[in-house]
Formats: sequence, structure tokens, C-alpha cells
Amino acid sequence: MRTTLPADVVSYGDAARSRLSRLGGAEFALRCETDRPLRDGAGEALSDLGASDLDVRSDLNQFLAAAQLCRVAGSVALPWPLVEELLAIDGARLALLDPMTPRIDHGDLAGSWVGSDLDGHAVAVRPGPPRTAKLGPFVVLAELGETAARISAADVARHQVLASWRILGTLEAAFGQVVEHVRARTQFGQPLAEFQAVRFAIADANVALRGLEELAKFTSWRLAAAPGPRAAVDATVLRLSAVDSAVRVLRTCHQMLGAVGFCNEHDVSVLDRHLQPLLRLPVSAEVLAARLVPAVKSGDFETLFSDAGGVAH
Amino acid sequence: MTDPPPTDSEPPIDYDFGAAAAELRLRLRALIREHLPAGFLGAFSDNPADLALTQEFCKVLADEGLLCLSWPTEYGGGGGSVWEQTTVREEMWAHHEPRGAQYMGVNWVGPALMRHGTEEQRAMHLPPIAAGEVIWCQGFSEPEAGTDLASLRTRAEPDGDGWLITGQKVWTSYAQMAQWCVLAATTDPQLPSAERLTLFLVPMDRDGIEVRPIASMLGPHHLNEVFLDKVRVGPQDVLGKVGSGWAVMRDALAYERVGIARYARCESLLARMLAVLDSDDSWDRLAPALHTRWVRALVDLRIARLLAYRAVGEQIDGIDPANAAAARIVTTTCDQSVAEILMEAAGAAALDAGPTGPLAGAVDDHWRYAQAATVASGTIEVQRILVARSVLGASR
Repeated sequence: MRTTLPADVVSYGDAARSRLSRLGGAEFALRCETDRPLRDGAGEALSDLGASDLDVRSDLNQFLAAAQLCRVAGSVALPWPLVEELLAIDGARLALLDPMTPRIDHGDLAGSWVGSDLDGHAVAVRPGPPRTAKLGPFVVLAELGETAARISAADVARHQVLASWRILGTLEAAFGQVVEHVRARTQFGQPLAEFQAVRFAIADANVALRGLEELAKFTSWRLAAAPGPRAAVDATVLRLSAVDSAVRVLRTCHQMLGAVGFCNEHDVSVLDRHLQPLLRLPVSAEVLAARLVPAVKSGDFETLFSDAGGVAH
Repeated sequence: MTDPPPTDSEPPIDYDFGAAAAELRLRLRALIREHLPAGFLGAFSDNPADLALTQEFCKVLADEGLLCLSWPTEYGGGGGSVWEQTTVREEMWAHHEPRGAQYMGVNWVGPALMRHGTEEQRAMHLPPIAAGEVIWCQGFSEPEAGTDLASLRTRAEPDGDGWLITGQKVWTSYAQMAQWCVLAATTDPQLPSAERLTLFLVPMDRDGIEVRPIASMLGPHHLNEVFLDKVRVGPQDVLGKVGSGWAVMRDALAYERVGIARYARCESLLARMLAVLDSDDSWDRLAPALHTRWVRALVDLRIARLLAYRAVGEQIDGIDPANAAAARIVTTTCDQSVAEILMEAAGAAALDAGPTGPLAGAVDDHWRYAQAATVASGTIEVQRILVARSVLGASR
């Protein structure tokens, strides 16, 4: 057992944090809403970090480095389809989508795309023009084209896992801001952090983040150590947990921040709005949960007792 | 320009317990199959045969070198890795703790004796614990001091070269079965709370000790009152030093912060219930909402397990109390949500107890015991306080 991330993976994450933060953090993401070409700066920063050289398909440490990059991207609401680019196929960004309601975050950026549902059924996609929306401001509608070569279950799983790392990064950043806030903000003569109701809410959110981080590490390892149907289930388990955790943690963040957290000028407002596509696309949390039900019955949702020779009695 | 890390530059993360632990898990399951009857629900029943079964099973484990796997070999233990110990903890709890009340002696009284006991105390107490021949209970909680152990009122009044202990303990599990008790008493109420307490090793048949069981929804033997009336103890009965009780308790409990592997029993019960439901297609007829609750419970149980592993791993490198607290918060709340799922899945039969009830009474048993999950051995509020302290610092 070794559950600590390797040092060079951590230091790559530190370098990524340094470079991506220089863009301006959530404020940069906010400016991109009204000045979309600015997003190219995000692409250039990723190029500086050698993102396209990361081999996410054959080496666990490289995958973990990519995961740290996604985590940092989430922490600054990086306005760029990083996960989709890391898993590009023949230069086409890979978007997971629901063929009944195809939508792609940042689909309006220059470049080609291939779309796939969660079962790997792929199609060529033609993203539509930019739209205006508070939640997921860079999401565009897409038209489906011809059927494309099937996407491997492993790639769909990697997509889900890297997206979950990105969600974790956003949640950690939002939570960090809230921790600062409750320590600094004084009401009734004492910092909010002195009120037990606040401390318990912070504790519960922190436990959710600790749990999500452990699950993300474990699932990343599983993709490499035990590829196959169970790894695909594991990836969906992580994505479901990431989405459920996001709803809980962001609810706490908004409640602790009060009205200031809703303002455009506050990072948590931007982080939350820009995270929404990852929480809703390609399918909702309830659909993810429903997709896991057959895996419970089949035993592909692995527990200590899911194999033959499980419970002694 | 930053280069990505080279491939395979360092050993990557690895969640495999290793071959020895995997083999141990199968060995333990085989022993349970061989020595315990189907439907076994632990030692805490009205049937004395269940206690006898656990005592026999402890001897089997002891003979196999598995009862005290976690102990150093110099004390008769197996010198097992923390991952082998974790495997034992998971398999025992999953199968209704067939070590019975031995759990207390093996998991914390023994290690506390190794670290704080005298040579005579170790020689006297460790061999019977390692052989599974003695049951210990823990006399900490009192009517006016539960979570706030520093406020214990039971007094050890100096008398000659020893003390006379008078007071009352409550919620004392196994007190009727136990031959020995680790008893906390105040030796000097004038000192700061961290220096008031002393731990004593006291035989339960010593004059002045009276045990009264408390009937409860948890079942027999879980809760007792222990009345102490001028119980004589001497210097040879002190564990650690006089006034070091609080420090010894904290040190000893540090090795048990992760607590019992509740997630393992939850996973085993869900697996058993799934097998029953699947046998006649009832699984497919469950309400869709229960299906997705089941899924989310399994997700949370996986997280509980991983958080426990993180805390266990830190036993090697130094424990972060907040990690252990996080693990306990998730596993204890899982215990309760799984209890509700099992009752829902059982339908009207959920109210049928005993061998003819769902899962031979295990659903009823689990629901009742799960109610105490967020109370026993440190309430969930204390765990939240520990986590909050790690994030926000101590409150004023």
C-alpha cells in the first residue's frame, strides 16, 4: 500500500499551479465570458506545461500528473477543455455527451471534436455558436454527424476520472476561500469560525473533500492496475461521488459566505457557475447512479465481498 | 516551459494489501466457516453458548497465531503488518466479531500494557490475553462524564500505601463477562484535569464491585452499570504512573482511533441481502429509489474504507487525528444509512427478529446496534470538533 502521490507528480502540480495562476485565476475566467478569444491564453499556458506530452493512456504517474493538472485547472476555473484535450483522438478533442441533448463546454474553440456517449458510441460533432448563460457560460449546442470509431471503455473511464479531479480542484479552491472567510469575518463580536454550527459545517465539507481525494487516487490506480469492466464502474463511482460532493460542498460554501458569495466579483460565484457543465454533462448524477445499479447486481461494483468466496456465511 | 514528470520515475500509488494479506483474508473466512454456525450474531446475546463459541474461536485463532497478529513477536504476537491487522479487523467485524469481548484486550489493553505496564503486569496479563483466556472491560464513562472524560468523579482516596475507589461507572460493555477492568479514577481532584486521573488494573471479583446490567435496544451485555464501594487497589495495580491516566488513555486509544471496521460489516450485510433478493428476482422489483440509495451507500462505504486505510497508513508515519476522525465520521454514518437500506429492503419482515427474521436476525441486530455508531467510542460531534480544529485551528 502506498497512498501518497509521488513527489514528482506533486511538484508538477505545483508548477502547474504557478503557471495557471499567473493567468489571473477566477477573475481571468470571468473576463473570458465577455472576451472569448482571451481563452487562448489558457491554451498557451497548458502548452508551456507540456500538457500535450502527457501520456495519460499507458503510465500511471503520467496519468496522475495529468490528474494534478486537471485539479489545478479546476481550482482556477481554467476556461479551456483540458480533459477533452488530454484524451484527444487523432487531434480531435474527445467530448462525452448525451446524444439526445448534445452539448459541449468550450465547443466553440477552434479545433475538431469527436463526441461519445458513456458507452463509447462515437459520432462526429459540429459544435454550434457561442451562447450566453450564467451557468456554464461556454457551453454550446452541438449537431451530431456521422458515426465514428468506437471509443474504448478505458478512454471513457479516464475521461470521467480526470473530470472528477477537475471537480475536486474547484471544490478545494472554493472551500479554501470559505475557510479564509469564516476566520476573518466577525459577527456578534467573534469570528464566524468560533461558532460551533459553522465549525461543524466546515468539518463536514472537509470530510467530503478528504473522501473525494482518496477515492480519486484509488480510482486512478485502479484504471492502471485492474483495467476492464470494473475499472469502468469505478470511474462512474468516482464521478457520481464528485458530483454529489460538489453539491454538498458548494452549498456549504454559499451558506458560509452569505450574499458576497453570489457576486460575480467573488471567486466562489465564478467557480460554481463554471463548474456546472461538469456536474450536469453528459448526464445527471441520478443517471450515473442508475447506471451503477446493474453493476451492484453483477458484482462489478467491487466490495470486500463481491467475489466468490465472499461472506463466510 | 515545464516538462511533465518522466514515466515511472517513482513508485506510483498502490492500494494492494499484498499477497500475504489476501491469503490471510481467505484463511480467516475458512476458519469462520469451519468454526462458527451460519447466523452467528456475536457474543452479546442471551444465549451463553454464543459467548462460549467466541471463547473457543479465540483459542483457535490463538493456536493459529492470529488472535494477536498485531502484537510484536516478543509478546506472543504475530508481528503482522498494519495491512494484515486491517484484514483481521475487517474480517472479524464483517462476521459479527467472533473474537467476542476479546476485542478489548487484544486491541488496546494489551498494547497499553506493552507501552505503559510494569514487567510484572506484562508477565501477568499479556499471556492470557494472547491465549484468548481473559475478558477485559473498560471503566471510563460515568453518569456525569461521558465524552468529557476529564470530569470523572470516581475517587481513589489514599489509604495506606494504596487507595480505596468509590464511585459509579456506566455504559460499561462486557462488564458481566469480564474478569478484569481498566478503571479510571481521580487520584487528586486539585490537580489540572490532565493530571487528575489514574488507571488501575482491577479484577472484577474484588470486594466492593457490583455490576448491574442495563436493558437496552442494543441487546444484552452492551450496557452495564458498575458500582464501586471502597474497592481496594495498590501501587501494583496502577497502569503507567499515578496521575498519568489521561495521557495513557490518549496514547493507547491512538492505536484504535480508526475504530472497528464498520464498513466491512455493512458491505457484508449488503452482499448477503443482495444474494437473498436476487435469488427470487426481488432485487429487480425494489423501488428504483432504493436501488440508487444502495449504490450511494456502496460509494460511501468505499470512501469510508479508503479513509480508514489512509489513517491506518499513518500509524506508520505518525497519526493525523483529523484523518482518523474523518474516517470515523464516514463509517459511522454509513452504518446508519445501511441499517435503513436493509430495513427498507426487508419490507414488512424488517420487524421480524431472531433466526427467522431477515438474514437470520442480522438486519434487526444491525439496525439496533447502528443507532449507537455515532455515540460509542467518541461521539460524531467530537470527531467533527477534531476535523474542524485541523482546518480552522482550536476555538478560543
